[in-house]
Amino acid sequence: MNMIEFRNVSKIYDNDSVALKDINLVIKKGEFVFMVGPSGSGKSTFIKLLIKEISSTNGTIFIAGRNICNLKNNRIPQLRRNIGCIFQDYKLLSDRTVFENIAFALEVIGKPNYIIKAQVPQVLKLVGLFNKMDSLPHQLSGGEQQRVCIARAFVNRPPILLADEPTGNLDPATSDGIMKLLSRINLIGTTVVMATHEKSIVNAMRRRVVELEDGIIIRDQRRGVYGS
Amino acid sequence: MSLVFRPKHIFGETFSSLRRNFLMGFTAITTVAITLFIVGVFSIIVFDIQSVLSSIESQVEIAVYLKDNISDDLKVYIEDEIKDWPEVEEVIFISKDQALERFKTQNEGSDILKEIQGNPLPASFEIRLKDPQKIEQVALRFVDKDGGNIEGVDEVIYGRNYVKKLFSITAVTGTIALLIIIILVLATMVLIFNTIRLSIYARRKEIEVMKLVGATNWYVRAPFLFEGSFEGFVGGSIAVLLLYFLNRFLLIKGETALVETMRIKNLALLGTNNVIIFIYLAIILLGILIGLLSSGFALRRYLKV
Ligand SMILES: Nc1ncnc2c1ncn2[C@@H]1O[C@H](COP(=O)(O)OP(=O)(O)OP(=O)(O)O)[C@@H](O)[C@H]1O
Ligand SMILES: [Mg+2]
Repeated sequence: MNMIEFRNVSKIYDNDSVALKDINLVIKKGEFVFMVGPSGSGKSTFIKLLIKEISSTNGTIFIAGRNICNLKNNRIPQLRRNIGCIFQDYKLLSDRTVFENIAFALEVIGKPNYIIKAQVPQVLKLVGLFNKMDSLPHQLSGGEQQRVCIARAFVNRPPILLADEPTGNLDPATSDGIMKLLSRINLIGTTVVMATHEKSIVNAMRRRVVELEDGIIIRDQRRGVYGS
Repeated sequence: MSLVFRPKHIFGETFSSLRRNFLMGFTAITTVAITLFIVGVFSIIVFDIQSVLSSIESQVEIAVYLKDNISDDLKVYIEDEIKDWPEVEEVIFISKDQALERFKTQNEGSDILKEIQGNPLPASFEIRLKDPQKIEQVALRFVDKDGGNIEGVDEVIYGRNYVKKLFSITAVTGTIALLIIIILVLATMVLIFNTIRLSIYARRKEIEVMKLVGATNWYVRAPFLFEGSFEGFVGGSIAVLLLYFLNRFLLIKGETALVETMRIKNLALLGTNNVIIFIYLAIILLGILIGLLSSGFALRRYLKV
C-alpha cells in the first residue's frame, strides 16, 4: 500500500525561492526512508508539506491514498493526528515538564485523562526518559530533548512518523541511540521518513535513500548510502 | 469533531492571562463597565421619555369647545363633518353635563367644587387622530378666513407645543446618545481586542504546537473566546451594579415624581413590566457579545487556524 505519494509536486515560497521542483515519489507502508541532501536542498519543506504546515504550489500529495492538497481546513487536524512529527527545532514548551509536554499533545486532541496517564509513562519508558519525566526541557541534554520530541510524536501511535534532523548536533553515541529508537518504531509497522545530512548514520543503516539537491530528486536507492 | 470539554483548558488560561496582563485586562474591563453603564442610563431615560410621550399622545389630542348657544343642527353638522375626515380615529361628544361630571370626579374632595355654581363648563368634541403628527392640520380646519373660530366653536385646544418640543429634543439627544455609545463600544472592542492579541502572543508557541499535533481550530480558539467574553461579562456585571445603585438612590426619585405629577404608568423602574430586569440582562449579554466579537476579530487577525 502506498502510504505517501508525491505527484509532480513543486513548492515555491512567497519570496520566489524554489524549494522543491516537480517531485515524484512513492513511499510504501512500513518503509524507512532517508531524505538526504545539503542544507537548503528542500528536506524540511518536504516534511512540512506532509503535515500541511505549508501547502504545495503545484502537484498532488496523497497520504494513505487520500489527496491532501484539497483537504478542507477542518480536516487538517485529523491528518496531523495520524502523522507524528519530530521538528528540526524541537518545539518543546519550556515552561512544562517532560511529562506535561507529551501529555499536552494528547490533551489538545481530546484524549481523556486515563489514557494520558497510561500512555505517557509508557512512551517515556520506550525512549528511556521515565526517570526524567518531571524535568523541564532546559534541564535536559540535547539528546534527551530530542527523545522527548520522539516520545511526543509517537505517543499517539501514528502510522507515519516524520523526523527532521533528529540527530542534528548530537554526538555519535547519542545519535546511535536515537537511530535504534526510530528503527524499533519502524519495526512495529510505522512508516518512518527521516531528513538528515549526516553520512555516517545513513551509511550505517542501509535503508532507502532519497537524495535532494536544489529541490530535485537526484537519487533514489534501496539500501543506499550517502553519496556515491 | 471530538471536543472533549476541558474546563482547565478553557478557563484556566483566562486567569493566568489576566494575571499576566493585569493592567490591560483591568483597563478593558473598566471600559466595558463604563460603556455599558452609560448605555444602561440612556436606555432607562429613553424608555421613560417614550412612556411620557406616548401617555401624552394617547390623551385627547384636539378638544373643540362649543359655544353654549350652538344649535342642535349645527352641532350635528360639525360632528358629521369631523367623522368624515380621514385623519380622524375617533370623535367623542362630551355634553355640558358629562363635562361637569368628569370635572367632579377628577377633583373629588377639592375646594374648587364648592365654588362652582350651575354649570360653567362647555360641551366639546374630543378628537383622537390616527397620526398625531397631523394634529395641526386638522385643528386649523376650525379656523375661518379671518383667523377666528368657525361658527358655534368657542375654542380649539390642541397639541400643546411642548409635545412637539419634547419630540425633537428626544430625537436629538437620542442621536447624540447613540453616537456616544457607538464610539464607546468601539473603544471597548479595541481594548478587548488588544488583551486577546497579547494573550495570543504570549501563547504563540503553545498554539503552534497545538495546531501541529492536530488540535481542532475550535479547541485553539475556545480559551481566547472565553477570555474575551469573560472580560465583557465582568465589565457588564460591574455596570449593572453601578446602575443598580444609581437607580436606587437617584433615578427612582425622578420616576416617583413622574408618577405623582403625570400619572405615567409604564416606567422602567416603577412600571409593572420589570423593564429594568431586562435592561440589566441585556447589559450583561451585550458585554459578553462585545467580548466575543472583539476576541473573534483578534483571532481572525492574529491566529491563522
Ligand atoms: N518560510 C520560507 N520562506 C522562504 N523561503 C524558504 C522558507 N523555508 C525555506 N525556504 C527556502 O527553501 C529552500 C529549502 O529549505 P528547507 O528548509 O526545505 O531546506 P533543508 O533541506 O531542510 O535545509 P537544512 O538542512 O538546512 O534544514 C531554501 O532555499 C530555503 O531558503
Ligand atoms: Mg531542514
